[in-house]
Amino acid sequence: MTENIFGVVGLFEDPAALLKAVPLVQSKRLGKLEAYTPYPVHGLPGVLGLSRSPLGGMVLVMGALGTLTAFLFQWWMNSVDYPLVVGGKDPSSWQAFVPIMFEVTVLFAAFTAGLGMLLLLNRLPDLWHPFLLSKSCAEVTRDKFALSIEAESGSLDVAAAQAILRQAGALSVEVVAFPAPASKVSLNALLALSAAGALTCALAGAGMYGAVKLFPVLPPMSHMLVQPRLDAQQRGMRPPVAGTVARGRMPYLGALGNPLPRTKAVLELGRKVFSNNCLICHGPLANGTPILTAAYGAKPANLQAKKFLSYTDGEIYHAIMHGKNAMPALGLGFTEDERWAVVHYVRALQRAQHAQDTDLP
Amino acid sequence: MMPALTIQRFWANWLVWMLMLLSAGLGALFVVALEHLTDARWSVPLRRTAERVSGLVVPGSVAALVALFSLKVLYPWARPEAVTMPLVMAKAGWLNIPFFIARTLVCVALWLLSWKVLAGGSLKQDESRALVWTLRLRRFSPFFLVVMGLTTLVVAFDWISSLEPEWYSDVIGVYLFSGMFLAGLSAVVLAVSHLIEKGRLPQVRFDHLYNLGAWMFAFTVFWSYIAFAQYLLMWYADLPEEVYWYQQRSHGPWRGLCLVLALAHFVIPFFALVPQDAKGDLKRLKRVAVLVLAAHFLDLYWLVFPVLGDRPLFSWPELSFACFFVGLAVLWVRRSMSQGADMPVGDPFLEEGLAFKL
Ligand code: HEC
Repeated sequence: MTENIFGVVGLFEDPAALLKAVPLVQSKRLGKLEAYTPYPVHGLPGVLGLSRSPLGGMVLVMGALGTLTAFLFQWWMNSVDYPLVVGGKDPSSWQAFVPIMFEVTVLFAAFTAGLGMLLLLNRLPDLWHPFLLSKSCAEVTRDKFALSIEAESGSLDVAAAQAILRQAGALSVEVVAFPAPASKVSLNALLALSAAGALTCALAGAGMYGAVKLFPVLPPMSHMLVQPRLDAQQRGMRPPVAGTVARGRMPYLGALGNPLPRTKAVLELGRKVFSNNCLICHGPLANGTPILTAAYGAKPANLQAKKFLSYTDGEIYHAIMHGKNAMPALGLGFTEDERWAVVHYVRALQRAQHAQDTDLP
Repeated sequence: MMPALTIQRFWANWLVWMLMLLSAGLGALFVVALEHLTDARWSVPLRRTAERVSGLVVPGSVAALVALFSLKVLYPWARPEAVTMPLVMAKAGWLNIPFFIARTLVCVALWLLSWKVLAGGSLKQDESRALVWTLRLRRFSPFFLVVMGLTTLVVAFDWISSLEPEWYSDVIGVYLFSGMFLAGLSAVVLAVSHLIEKGRLPQVRFDHLYNLGAWMFAFTVFWSYIAFAQYLLMWYADLPEEVYWYQQRSHGPWRGLCLVLALAHFVIPFFALVPQDAKGDLKRLKRVAVLVLAAHFLDLYWLVFPVLGDRPLFSWPELSFACFFVGLAVLWVRRSMSQGADMPVGDPFLEEGLAFKL
């Protein structure tokens, strides 16, 4: 019979009574001691002799990992893999990384603290814990404090446990048995849960829709826009002075021909620049079928057309540098090498579509 | 050295130390008011010490009144050439000498009144043991929080950002507040540790100190958050009337000071206080408190001194000012420690506070 006993639970009026009872009960060494309280009781872990929770260390490590992850993530994306100049700032400006680093640190730390405490260390939700089915549990969720002596390796001296709890001043003492094996979650419960979830989504969606439809968009605080200031930027972005040569760039070579050799590395660079900048309008084969939807009104040139096959390299270069009608002047965003490399690549695409027998090795 | 610069330098030093005194005093008074407001028990045994430190608002207020003589020396908007600066003229409704003096007088009056009520009321309760004081102070505390918020904002706008009147930052008030609260906490920690070492607070334990430490820990993060938020927005927007302020303060020799500030005001105190046991360890707390007070001084120095020129000035004048004001503050608090009980013996919650367990 005793192997079916989970433990003996005594109820106490307040935290002080509980704290006072622990040493006496502990001295008898009848079984594992555990306390159940409606809220955390200061000093209880110490009295029960619980070892310090490893949670703090876990949170610190994960928080630091969060900082590092966010930093490396942004640094690699923004300044190594795909450098993007935003607002005229250096792509590897650490300042811009800090908010994300902070947020990810908090995120990692908070999830470690919350989930680590609940799932990993406390193994919650423990829905079939024997104590939950006891009468004492109902009291604990109200205003009582419970101390339980729990069976260790299946054996417990129930009578002695009851006696010592009474002696320690328990209001009532209850013997708690392991519950019968729990039945599986019923189909009805699952259905009800899904229905409740669907209903919540529908309500939230309808509310959101109503809010967006019924209430006008409020203008944000505008005092920083209207206050007096030095209007240094009223002219918008200024074009470079005519004849400007950027540092580290070779001057425009015009019709002199492509200065780059047609090597694998150059074509690879050209492919990268083309995929990132031209493909969206001119299509992967440069035949003027854009990836853009019809909403993009202009008609990109079909670079496979006869006209463009007979273009010189310099003419393609010119189109990149200066654009044409709806084609933007993209050249200033590239290095000199990138411009010529993409010219090579366009030539390669053209040749691939107009291959001749002599091209075979 | 040019005589004009000498005068400016004198007032710049004065301004920094006036802000130091007010920081420690108002910060400590804020600790007192928070205790009343939240009905906290743990801090009752430490409250008298905080009240004593808050007495620093008295010399701080005097220093603020004296500093009114610095207006024409330090503040461009108070000089005739202000008329030639369109951005400053647009702020003339706020930045003019009569209104400035009126604001300072109101602030000083509110600080002294709040100190009189909060610290004086507690002393009165020592004698009368009347419960009514507990209620009165609890009712007064929200009022002080409002006073603290508004006057810190006024001090930050008036005394700090109007040194360069074309610059402005909405968050500078919160920035100053976070530093002030930290400075107040640190001063309280130092005073408490002095009393403990003298054996005058025998029942104050790890558990009480832990909360002070936790607060310091939390607010080092808060200060850094605010400081960085202000910087990030100005750096990103890159508006000429905002960003030059940081330009001045983060280039040349000032760059080093920025780094020291980041270390001393955030990185070191943060990691020193991360471990659970550190927050209640008196020795550790004391060291961190000294560091944080020094960092707050550096912070104020960094806010004020760049208006004097491109190079940080730090020599005999600054050291003399430091000695004078630190000495004054220590003597002031020591004197109040020789009067009355070391704990609020009339407070009905003192017992409970002493028994406080984490
Ligand atoms: C925003 C869409 C867009 C992008 C991106 C774009 N183009 Fe164009 N491109 C066009 C359009 C539209 C035309 C047709 C202009 C016209 O003739 O009216 C065109 C025409 C051209 C022409 C022919 C110019 C001429 O002389 O008729 C060349 C060559 C060309 N593009 C190359 C490129 C290259 C190389 C890139 C990438 C670096 C690129 N384009 C990126 C839209 C684009």
